Amino acid sequence: MTDKKVDTTPVLVLDKLEKSFGSNKALKGVSFTINPNEVIGLIGENGAGKSTLLKILTGIYQTDAGTIEVNGKKVKFRNPRESVASGIGVVHQEQSLFTNLTVAENIAMNSGSGSSATSKFGFYSWGSIFKSATKTLATIGSKLDPRAIVGDLPFVDRQMVEIARAISVNAGTSGYPLVILDEPTSVLERNETEVLEREIRKIKEFGSVIFVSHRLDEIMRNCDRIIVMRDGELVADRSVNDVTEDELFKLMVGHEAHSLTHARKGLDGAEVPAIEIKDLNRKGKFSNVNFSVRAGRLTAIVGATGSGREDLARALFGAEKIDSGSLMLSGKPVKNWRIPKAVKAGIGYVPSERKVEGMIGGFTAAENVTFTHPGKAAVGPFLIPGARKKIAQSWFDTLDVRPNDISQELGRFSGGNQQKVVMAKWLNSPELRVLILDHPLRGLDPGAAQTVNEQIKLACEKGAAVILLADTLEEALEMGDEVLVMRDGEVTSAFDLAKDNPSTLDLLERMV
Amino acid sequence: MTKAADGSKPAASAPKAAGFKSTALGSFISRYAETLALIGSLLVLVLIFSNLNPRFATLENLQNLLNQAGLPLIIAVGATLVILIGSIDLSVEGVMSAAGMAFVLMSANTRGGVDYGILAFVVAIGVGAALGFANGFIFTKVKVPSFIVTLGMWYVGLGIATIMYGTETMPFLTDDNLSTWASQLNFGLPNNFLLAIVVAILGALLLRFTSFGRSTLAVGNNEEIARGNGLKVTRTKILVFVLAGAISGVAGIVAAIQLGAVNPTIAAGNLFITIPAVVIGGTSLSGGKGGMFGTVLGVVLLTTLNNGLILSGVSPNFQTAVSGGILVIAIIATAWSQRGRLRISK
Repeated sequence: MTDKKVDTTPVLVLDKLEKSFGSNKALKGVSFTINPNEVIGLIGENGAGKSTLLKILTGIYQTDAGTIEVNGKKVKFRNPRESVASGIGVVHQEQSLFTNLTVAENIAMNSGSGSSATSKFGFYSWGSIFKSATKTLATIGSKLDPRAIVGDLPFVDRQMVEIARAISVNAGTSGYPLVILDEPTSVLERNETEVLEREIRKIKEFGSVIFVSHRLDEIMRNCDRIIVMRDGELVADRSVNDVTEDELFKLMVGHEAHSLTHARKGLDGAEVPAIEIKDLNRKGKFSNVNFSVRAGRLTAIVGATGSGREDLARALFGAEKIDSGSLMLSGKPVKNWRIPKAVKAGIGYVPSERKVEGMIGGFTAAENVTFTHPGKAAVGPFLIPGARKKIAQSWFDTLDVRPNDISQELGRFSGGNQQKVVMAKWLNSPELRVLILDHPLRGLDPGAAQTVNEQIKLACEKGAAVILLADTLEEALEMGDEVLVMRDGEVTSAFDLAKDNPSTLDLLERMV
Repeated sequence: MTKAADGSKPAASAPKAAGFKSTALGSFISRYAETLALIGSLLVLVLIFSNLNPRFATLENLQNLLNQAGLPLIIAVGATLVILIGSIDLSVEGVMSAAGMAFVLMSANTRGGVDYGILAFVVAIGVGAALGFANGFIFTKVKVPSFIVTLGMWYVGLGIATIMYGTETMPFLTDDNLSTWASQLNFGLPNNFLLAIVVAILGALLLRFTSFGRSTLAVGNNEEIARGNGLKVTRTKILVFVLAGAISGVAGIVAAIQLGAVNPTIAAGNLFITIPAVVIGGTSLSGGKGGMFGTVLGVVLLTTLNNGLILSGVSPNFQTAVSGGILVIAIIATAWSQRGRLRISK
């Protein structure tokens, strides 16, 4: 940062990295090079080996074979500390800050915790910690107060702290820092993403970046070179000028992107809606909500933070209390609505907090599939393991879950494959009447997202009424038969997409 | 905002107490709400007990009360460290017994002619640290939950004390200066309370100004992240247990001095008050949040409660049930604000 470096030693050289977990080969000889001041896009489906590669670079896993060179020096990281010490900083997908500590300490954690940088003989020197944090924050153009407690900061500011921490790794090293951005944008708003992209350009001035994202447009916009992985192998290493988004998709997934447009079903006036709500209220969350969804149709609900759509979705599943109003399933009103009743009535709910609410990570994938609706896998109170395996296996094949191993704990699968299993859990219901999806594509790679979307459509065609809280307005317009816009707990407008053709701007205007 | 926004970002912070934000006083109140609530409850208790019995609000009773608070406070400092990493140390009573026993048997006592002087203190604290190390080592290396390791170590400590005690008569300390030290007054305060305050201040400084202290908070907040940041998680955890054990050792010495003698059950009943005191003081059982100031308040609050109940004439027969009940209520009050949809308690 202080003096311009002119040497052209690559920042990172990977040579034939291999890594296996049991019989599963996660990396099959991956080699590539990263030069100083270069932004590399690293893409691949969930399970392609990206995460394994990153974990090796950050010292969490060790390679079985192959070599790593950082700034010209051969390294073999035995733990994260050694990776940090060599100048590799990470911005994790899910923020990994200590919410109970100050901004300055979080940044200092990387520049040699417990070392002379921050303390003498184990005693903290707060003055120098605050000073060096202010300096690091200044290099990325942030004016955050280093004394602030991280837990008190808004999300986007925390992201700044993450970045500051990642770049602070070069405090103790002579070479270029390598900053790994591991899907940092998957939970950011678009304006927040712009801030991040500005930061990437800043880091490029004094270091190199590995940028991992599932959003191909971002990859194209920010990277100099793109590395594509599939099934543990590097399948392409291209300059951003020689490749298109469509090509990237094909390289990642192995086949062309399918078009998702579908024939929209018209409204049959006589038909009784599968789910209908009238004047539904929940104090402080949503008020006087009216709508209905017929079997075989998909209603997408859009809204900004605080629109109440998540609470509404949860209330329909019985996960949150309804204060007043009525909820009718196939014309019959329900009372004392709770989750067990909702499940029994054929309602499925895919939560946005997948790991906490959507699955049981310590159970095998097979158990997760048959947990809620066992079908033939249970006779009365008795479970039939053979039948369970058969059911789970058929879902694994249908949804192309990888690795194709139903007896592995679900917690060990990648996010996209976990989501497929969560979907299978509800699709396994003999009579799925209503399927409620809260951000079903969050954090999923394009391939897994496509599989999930196909299953949503299929469920619709088979007669389920689907309520979708989409990640993006584009997704809502593409998937929906109808789009509802919510603002401050109320439905502000409804569009029947068979007749209306709202633009994303139209929706946006009604959201804010 | 150009896209449909998420309603629930992972890791989004819990909303701060709203309403007071605008003024400096307001932000002070919202920041220290829990501490202020504790001080408020303490004042309310003092007010009630003063009205019930005029003897409550006397200097003599205050000194008596702080004398009672000394021992639990020392233990609570160690317990705070352990709870800050999200663990629990149930072994304190056993560790205290073993350390107290070692201390008295190595000091001038009625059983025999030994007097190792200062070495007795060192060995007693060493016994505590060693048992603490055993706790920490088994907990981190074998990866068993701390509550079960320390539950076992409780009885190991008791057992060691019982073996050392043997079948002879109870050993009394023969040095009168020593056996009256605890309740003597300095600056109007009993010595054992002053010692407890010194230990608490050292604990607070440790948490605020040392890498070890900050690592303790970091590990308590999120162990995975701590590991990913290159912190020495296992070492930090073991060290916390060693320190807690050493502090229990100190507590064992103080308990023996207070009694002027020692027996294996010398520490009985101390665990019950300290852990709730730490939790009521605002240290979160899930780790990462809390500190020594709250612990001091928590201990004083619970000691005041016990003292006040006795002075108010609550029958000793009821006292145990009443303090238990009040503890449960206090814990509910403390934990109430932390109930969240995604919070899982096991």
